[in-house]
Amino acid sequence: MRERIEWLFGVVLRFSAAERVLVSLSAVVFAIFVGGVVVLVAGYAASCESAALYILGAPVCYNPVEVYLVMLEGSFGDSFSLAATLQWTTLLLFTGLSFAIPYRAGLFNIGAQGQFILGSLATTVTLLWLADLAPSGLAGTLVLVPVGLFAGTLVGALYGLLPGYLKVRFEMNEVITTLLLSFIAADLAFVAVDRFFTTDDIQGTVTDRIPEEATFSPLVFPSSTDFSLPVFVFALVVVAGCYWLLMRTAVGYDIRAMGAQPKAAVFGGASQRFTTLFSMTAAGAVAGLGGAIYVMMILGRWQTGTPPLGFDGIAVSILAGNNPAGLLPSGLLFGALESGGRAIQLRLGVPSELIEVLRGIIILLVATPELFRLLGAHLNRRGIIDVDTGGSD
Amino acid sequence: MSTAVQLEGITKRFPGGVLANDDVDLTVEHGTVHALLGENGAGKTTLMNVLYGLYEPTAGTVRLDGDAVSFETPQDAIQRGVGMIHQHFTLVRPMTVLENVALGWEPVKYGGLTIDEATIEEELRELSERYGFGISEHIHTPVEELSVGTQQRVEIVKTLYRGADVFIFDEPTAVLTPQESEELFGVFDELIDQGKTLIFITHKLNEALTVADRITVLRDGRTVETFDTEGATTQELARKMVGRDVLLRVEGRERDQGDPRLVVDSLSVRTNQGLPAVDGVDLTVRGGEIFGVAGVDGNGQTELVEAVTGLRDVESGTVAFDGTDVTGLSRRERMNRGLAYIPGERQEQALVMAFDLTQNAVLGSQHREEFRDGRQIDWERVRAHTAEIIDTYDVRPPDPTVLARSLSGGNQQKFVVGREFLRDPDIVVAAHPTRGVDVGSMEFIHEQLIEMSERGAAVLLVSASLDEVTSLADRIGVMYDGQFVDVVEPDAVTKTELGLLMAGQHPDEPDVCREER
Repeated sequence: MRERIEWLFGVVLRFSAAERVLVSLSAVVFAIFVGGVVVLVAGYAASCESAALYILGAPVCYNPVEVYLVMLEGSFGDSFSLAATLQWTTLLLFTGLSFAIPYRAGLFNIGAQGQFILGSLATTVTLLWLADLAPSGLAGTLVLVPVGLFAGTLVGALYGLLPGYLKVRFEMNEVITTLLLSFIAADLAFVAVDRFFTTDDIQGTVTDRIPEEATFSPLVFPSSTDFSLPVFVFALVVVAGCYWLLMRTAVGYDIRAMGAQPKAAVFGGASQRFTTLFSMTAAGAVAGLGGAIYVMMILGRWQTGTPPLGFDGIAVSILAGNNPAGLLPSGLLFGALESGGRAIQLRLGVPSELIEVLRGIIILLVATPELFRLLGAHLNRRGIIDVDTGGSD
Repeated sequence: MSTAVQLEGITKRFPGGVLANDDVDLTVEHGTVHALLGENGAGKTTLMNVLYGLYEPTAGTVRLDGDAVSFETPQDAIQRGVGMIHQHFTLVRPMTVLENVALGWEPVKYGGLTIDEATIEEELRELSERYGFGISEHIHTPVEELSVGTQQRVEIVKTLYRGADVFIFDEPTAVLTPQESEELFGVFDELIDQGKTLIFITHKLNEALTVADRITVLRDGRTVETFDTEGATTQELARKMVGRDVLLRVEGRERDQGDPRLVVDSLSVRTNQGLPAVDGVDLTVRGGEIFGVAGVDGNGQTELVEAVTGLRDVESGTVAFDGTDVTGLSRRERMNRGLAYIPGERQEQALVMAFDLTQNAVLGSQHREEFRDGRQIDWERVRAHTAEIIDTYDVRPPDPTVLARSLSGGNQQKFVVGREFLRDPDIVVAAHPTRGVDVGSMEFIHEQLIEMSERGAAVLLVSASLDEVTSLADRIGVMYDGQFVDVVEPDAVTKTELGLLMAGQHPDEPDVCREER
């Protein structure tokens, strides 16, 4: 039994990079098939005025082929759809990084959501405060944009540093602290806005709009979209920068060694204290930066009910093998599922619950091989199983 | 004499293609001690794990008393009378000897409601008496309060209790003092007298020659030869093990000694659990000198080494390199001051197993100017450095892109030694540098240690191997319970005296009772 398990992990752990991509692609195909079956079954069970197709004479409400076509069209079909996809992808790149960097140091940052929320709130509050002081026009943009981005980054970084500090000082498990700090952040932001920053314009826990100079206008894309191409490019630059940091610099080497084998990293002069504090701070910073962009590019204000971008970032990162280089394709998939899902709901009347199921199936099946690989590598590192991984990491 | 164990054409290929055993034959006669000799990675333990039911062979047959058997699990093997004494004991430390022996094999009373302790105790006393184990007085003592040698005897009794006729000992002397080893060999004799059959895995030539009736040498997963012990010599054995002639003992050398380079002053260090491990140790190593630290594992050597190399905080006292107090300096700063460290746990510490050789070549130097290109690591220079390590220290395979974990133990150690010594260190700390290393690499590593000292470095050598310490060191500090029992010159003491010192007894005070720890 044990040998069979080790054999299985061995197969997965010995995958080359190309094979891993191939496995992920086949998983996508398989997931589309399984999802299609689920759509069919759901369509058979649902009742609707006019059936989308008939199978053996039985009416079925949703046609899986149509669902997938609409999904594809709704995510890449035209510039509006593409903007919706890339807008989500941009944010997921930041939250994905926020998981990937500490993972490389052997830490699990489950708290990108909280770092993202507090970052977005900090950006909003800072920009609202500066609204009257800053000049208008281009000069205003030149001041407000960097300040807005910086505020989100700084607060996010501090909120990432906190669990890092709790870990090095009190040995508190970062999985638990980051997760709980996420909930604290969401509630804290809600109370703060509700009490101090709420707007008179509309109902709800919503702030005033930040000045126009601090928002990103769409370039190339239609002006009614909430997507700015330069911001996407900026996100790619940040991802590339993190890749460079991890793979090329001495600090990145320390981090990777610490994640791969702490004892050997310490032998080589790396300090666990430093790598923990540094990677958690960096993680918080990128998540906070994502939050700033969320406000400055999409919402234009802070409002309650932040979508679970931080949590989705974990899945994005795992699917990317926790390597910054893999974040773009992985983020694109998630972005497309988001925008495509909305299109299905709007155009075909497929209930949002079914779309969630469909999305869940795709993510689950696509991420499972990677997840399995991570589990295998973890067990192998702990010596629970003994697998020779041959050539690959 | 009849055949107890017969392995025919055993082949074991691991998933991933590693061939650990390749068509190995082994025949062990009833009532004999059969040594299985080979370098690390020769496939000795794999072969025995096949016999013990831990691994299923890829091909080949296992026969016990002539019957072909197939074991799914070690339980099956024990049922058929095959027991294995592992190097790392499988005892539950807080439980008593009786509880450990009975664990999983408890006779019960009242339909399974309670354990029949009286029966176990009776049987245990009977076994202990018959074999002269002397554990009768410890039956209700928790195992953790016993000495390592006694714990090992508990393991043996446990295996006897389960009805074993064939005993497999996996490197049993690795954890023992010389005296304890002698006692163990006494137990071997008792077991043989009672008609048991022993298979003894070792890579120590002398032990094989002293204890075994027959020896089978394995190399690279194949049987080299099986022969009677009578008339065999260590030279001959070493050649069979390694496949070439080997220099077993380092020749004496001229020693010029310089200024003190490494000075440790009343150093006290605690273990991770907060217990005192090193208790006020003083130590001075001069340039050109090799200072050996001998002792049974777990007497504070590890903590002493970690405190010197910057991996462990000290409780009190100081460590100085070349007259500068480095007690408060980080590991990195100490390396920058010319420290090289070859740790005993090379797979855990000295190499990142999942990194390739190039990435490992810069471990410890990643922040140094010589490997920096602006803000990043200059991988071109690191690659050149890797090639130099591989060339100079004959690392095989000579492929810088291969992962550290796929190297054999000896080649891993050569790579580590190469990396550390190419720093051109002033202070060298080596902990068990040849543990688990084959005889060929061992010779090479010894030469390198001597060369370092001849170039003026101070060498601190910690080893559990008395041969290694006595042949290399200029002075030997014997550690027991966190202190140096004595510091001696290797030529001025016998092995027996050293062994007594290692057990905490000073030869000058022969009447001191040796307490069970």
